[in-house]
Amino acid sequence: MIRRLWRLWPSPGLLVRLWLLTAVLAVLQGLLLGLLVPVLRALLRPEPDFGAATGWLVLGSAGLLAYCLLSALVAPVGFAASMELAVQLRRRLMGHVTTLPLGWFTADRKSHFVRTVTNITGELAQLTFVIIAPAITGLLVPITVVSVIAVVDWRLAIPLLVCLPAGLLVLRQTRRTVAEVSAAMEVGGNAVAGRALEFGRAQPVLRAAGLAATGGVRLREALDLHRLRYRRGLRRMLVPELAFSAVVATAYVATVLLGTGFLLDGTLPAADAVALLVLAVRFVEPFGGLGGHASGLGAMEYLVTCVEDVLRTRALPAAPHPVRAVPHAGIEFTAVSFSYGATRALADVSLRCEPGTTTALVGASGSGKTTVTRLVARFFDVDSGSVAVGGVDVRDYDHTALTAQIAIVFQDVYLFDTTIEENIRLARPDASQAEVLAAARAAQLDEVIDRLPAGWRTQVGEGGAQLSGGERQRVSIARAFLKNARIVLIDEAASALDPENEAAVSRAIATLGDDPARTVVVIAHSPATLRAADQIITLDGGRVAECGPPAELLRTEGIFARLSRQHEHTRSWRISARTDPARHQAAGDAGPSVETSVSP
Amino acid sequence: MTRAGPAPRGARAGSRSASPAGGRPRGTIAAAGTGGTGGTSSTSAAVPPAAPRMLPFRDVARMLSPIRRQLVGCAALSAAAAAAGVLSYVAIAQIARTALAAPGPAAESRAVWAWAVGGVAGAVLRLVLDGLSAHVGHDADARMLHHLRIRLTRRLGVLPLGWFRAAGSAQVKKAMTDDLEAMHHLFAHTLGSVLGAAGALTVALGYLLVVDWRMALVTVAVPTLSVLGFRRAMRSSSGHIARLIAAQGRISSAAVEYVDGISVVKTFGGSTDRVLDRFDSAQDEHTAAYRAWTAENLATASVNQVLTAETAILGVVAAAGLGFVRAGWLSMSDLLPFLIVGIGLPTSLNPLMRSTQGLRAARMAAGHLDALLSLDPLPEPAEPRVPVGHRVELDRVSFSYDGVTDVLSDISVRCEPGTVTALVGPSGAGKSTLAALLPRFHDVTAGAVRIGGVDIREQSSQTLLASMSLVFQDVILLWDTVTENIRIGRPDATDEQVRAAARAAQLHEVIERLPGGYDTVLDEAGGGLSGGERQRLTIARAILSDAPVVILDEATAALDADSEAAVQDALGELVAGRTVIVIAHRLHTIVDADQVLVLDRGRLVEHGTHRDLLARGGRYARMWWAQDTGAAA
Repeated sequence: MIRRLWRLWPSPGLLVRLWLLTAVLAVLQGLLLGLLVPVLRALLRPEPDFGAATGWLVLGSAGLLAYCLLSALVAPVGFAASMELAVQLRRRLMGHVTTLPLGWFTADRKSHFVRTVTNITGELAQLTFVIIAPAITGLLVPITVVSVIAVVDWRLAIPLLVCLPAGLLVLRQTRRTVAEVSAAMEVGGNAVAGRALEFGRAQPVLRAAGLAATGGVRLREALDLHRLRYRRGLRRMLVPELAFSAVVATAYVATVLLGTGFLLDGTLPAADAVALLVLAVRFVEPFGGLGGHASGLGAMEYLVTCVEDVLRTRALPAAPHPVRAVPHAGIEFTAVSFSYGATRALADVSLRCEPGTTTALVGASGSGKTTVTRLVARFFDVDSGSVAVGGVDVRDYDHTALTAQIAIVFQDVYLFDTTIEENIRLARPDASQAEVLAAARAAQLDEVIDRLPAGWRTQVGEGGAQLSGGERQRVSIARAFLKNARIVLIDEAASALDPENEAAVSRAIATLGDDPARTVVVIAHSPATLRAADQIITLDGGRVAECGPPAELLRTEGIFARLSRQHEHTRSWRISARTDPARHQAAGDAGPSVETSVSP
Repeated sequence: MTRAGPAPRGARAGSRSASPAGGRPRGTIAAAGTGGTGGTSSTSAAVPPAAPRMLPFRDVARMLSPIRRQLVGCAALSAAAAAAGVLSYVAIAQIARTALAAPGPAAESRAVWAWAVGGVAGAVLRLVLDGLSAHVGHDADARMLHHLRIRLTRRLGVLPLGWFRAAGSAQVKKAMTDDLEAMHHLFAHTLGSVLGAAGALTVALGYLLVVDWRMALVTVAVPTLSVLGFRRAMRSSSGHIARLIAAQGRISSAAVEYVDGISVVKTFGGSTDRVLDRFDSAQDEHTAAYRAWTAENLATASVNQVLTAETAILGVVAAAGLGFVRAGWLSMSDLLPFLIVGIGLPTSLNPLMRSTQGLRAARMAAGHLDALLSLDPLPEPAEPRVPVGHRVELDRVSFSYDGVTDVLSDISVRCEPGTVTALVGPSGAGKSTLAALLPRFHDVTAGAVRIGGVDIREQSSQTLLASMSLVFQDVILLWDTVTENIRIGRPDATDEQVRAAARAAQLHEVIERLPGGYDTVLDEAGGGLSGGERQRLTIARAILSDAPVVILDEATAALDADSEAAVQDALGELVAGRTVIVIAHRLHTIVDADQVLVLDRGRLVEHGTHRDLLARGGRYARMWWAQDTGAAA
């Protein structure tokens, strides 16, 4: 544990200072207690001999003074340390995460990272102090005390010496049990939370069914089950806790009985016996208190693991002799396979996108479209095969040089909480006003800007909340124009874009593709974008199913042709409360006549 | 769909930044020392965000009343355990005193052994009583969690539906898990540690007073001072804690911005400096707040650190005691109890001080729960009226979320049974809000909504909700089997009727292909159903319920083309012959609608059929042409 903590910080000197201070205090405390032996020996005579005790008492006073002075340092050193440790660890985490490939930044990981960098780091920094320090005290005071006892009469030290390792072993088990039970309880707690969330969301349905007050059988079952599991978990944790108390109590009882025996059979002088029994109590109290810290240490272990997990993630390997210039914007996949963990995403995919063309990727969700775009931008490295940009394997590029040529337009675009202009300009901070304006116009953004209250100067709100999804996506496309990226990867928003936005995004994508030096790859949903593409690649289950110009693919009986017919079908769908046989017929399988309307 | 209430992005970011972050401020810094004062259980207690309100003890007691007997039992047992523990130390002191008094060997040895046995008994008793106390406490804990969860469920079941839409689900989750977890401390530990400390102190102090009252007073002076110091440290920190919490919020949102922004920076170049600067400045502010917080209490904390140490009390007892012995006020053997029992006094007090932090957090959590439990329920009519027919009428309806800005103003419309009414307009026009008024997610601020001629506020909410099917984009699935998910539309439906509904929703084949068929349990992830299939499942549910009014968010564009077509076919089955109100995104789907309502900024700007509105050449016509040219581009 100590070693793992040690590795988290680049300069763990603060930890040393803090822990050393605590350790010195603990040993000093034990020694001061040990002074009771000579003092009591001198004073527990029929006539107290203060003369014989004076030297020890002076020593004791000096020790006490030192203890008080050092002890007063603990709070300032501790506060300063935990603050500094938190700052350092946060910087380290932030620095580390900038080196990670874009593929790492999934929603889950991002929210976990935020939690790690805020709560977990803060808590950890504080616990290095709040948990570790008392644990050190609880261990070193008894060890010092038992050493003193052993020096005076080794026989009395035996039960305590046995108790030390035995107690620590039990504590270890406690920590394990606590970890196990907490994990199980967290699972149970999440299940209840899931039920609770469902209960909140399903209110309209539940109320209509008259189940709102009880939440239905399933919720009740979940709650009952959780109650049982929870109680069982608490009981399981109780066992090792009590076992530890029992070990300590046994050692205590044995010491008392032995001490009494030795006192009465005369093998231990009364003064020594008394002093040693006093010390035995001072062994038992702090050591017994360690039991209360076991669960704290368990909690800390979890926090350390969280931080380690982030720090353990590595950046993608850099090429030994990186290529710094991208010759042209062509993209080529050769027999590429790729898996996310155990899930195969792409299998033996080969494809080609010539410079100056627009390629539309089509396929059901999960067919591998997004993976293709991610591999171009080297979010991840392929398992086998190769991805080449400009004829060079992406792994051989200097990563910055490669990303300088690529712009990615995500489905969910993040905007900084500043003006629209600033948000576009960040793609090229030195761009002139005219260039920014041109980029915005090409991205069909000018009419949006005209409509906004403060135009260019409109603050977009946190994450861009003032703009709709399609508008945010157009800001992102404007960035791509301004950056003059030669490769643009677009995930066309599939979700509920209103038609005006959808049309504007399609037009913007078409304008991007007009540049003969630029390659556009778009995960396409709208018919307009599909029609305008030079090449359609249909993916099915991670394989390329079809490839060719849209008009050509429409003439086949393939997936794209079927999808297009369905598009037409959905476009001809009309909602009506009247039962109308004609409508049903129109909604049936679209006839061949529909195809003509999809020609480019 | 456009969401009613606060913008989802904003709401999400807000709730994230409000989560406690950074080094959690503890109730006190006095507890942050070594010497065994560090909290353990309290470490899991979060300080709630913004304006935390601690529940007064009176209300806490009321909340805990169902487990009062167990709590008292648990506390009494732990007090007895602590007393037994002290007794075992008293025995040692007595052994020492007896041995040193030394009148005659035989009597002496019997008395010494008697005390030794007493010491052993004390230690064993403590162990047993501690175990029992924990057992009873855990039982009370589990029972109370269960009880409060059920109480919460009951209350949530009568709240206005709009509450769930705003930030409700997250709050439900927080209350059901985090808050209850924090309150666990209250159930399981607080009373026990208070009475435990009291038991230990009573026995110890009583014994010491009997031995020598003057020495006892001196001994007790040190822990008294430390308690006073502790209280001071607790009191003075409140203003700084607010600043600290604010600073943590900033760190949190800066971290969110950083990780979200990093993908932008990585794809469009630029440097991370700007975002990193923000994070650094948030962190600097946090450091400053932390420093101010600690600086104020540093002296108290340092003094307290010294006072709570066993060594300090050892010094005081030794110095005063030896002085007393010197002066002839005290015999050496009477000093021993102070060395044995007296030194342990801070040890019994420490858990008490430690638990005050957990207690604060628990009381804040209790405050949050109490606030939830006392939310106003949706007013239900005393004598509900039964609607006649299914005509839907909005009569001069206005609505406002905040009571200031109207989201909808003065809207009147009538939807006859068997017709389709389409709501169109730009996002933010109020379409979703209007649709949400019909199932009474919110109550109107002015005017009235009537279904079947009866104001919906005069209908029981079960009647009202059973009369309509809501098909929204955010699919509501229950964590249950496919069958039960459909059957909830009509709880008394037979399996055959459930299957018929699934067939009508074009879902039967899909379900048959699932590993467990109709018995497949759908979890949060949807149990292997795609987005479109999940949506069709809710349509099957609606078909089964056979509700005469259908409220529909036609936002099928989220689905891939395959699904979209299937969903549309299912919808066709659902809407036939009903009163349909549809939020339309693609205007071509509503050209056959009986009436189209064009909303803009909460007002009804145009009203008519597709043909009329197109001919009028107004707002609707402009939207239509924009979509049409867009599609043709």
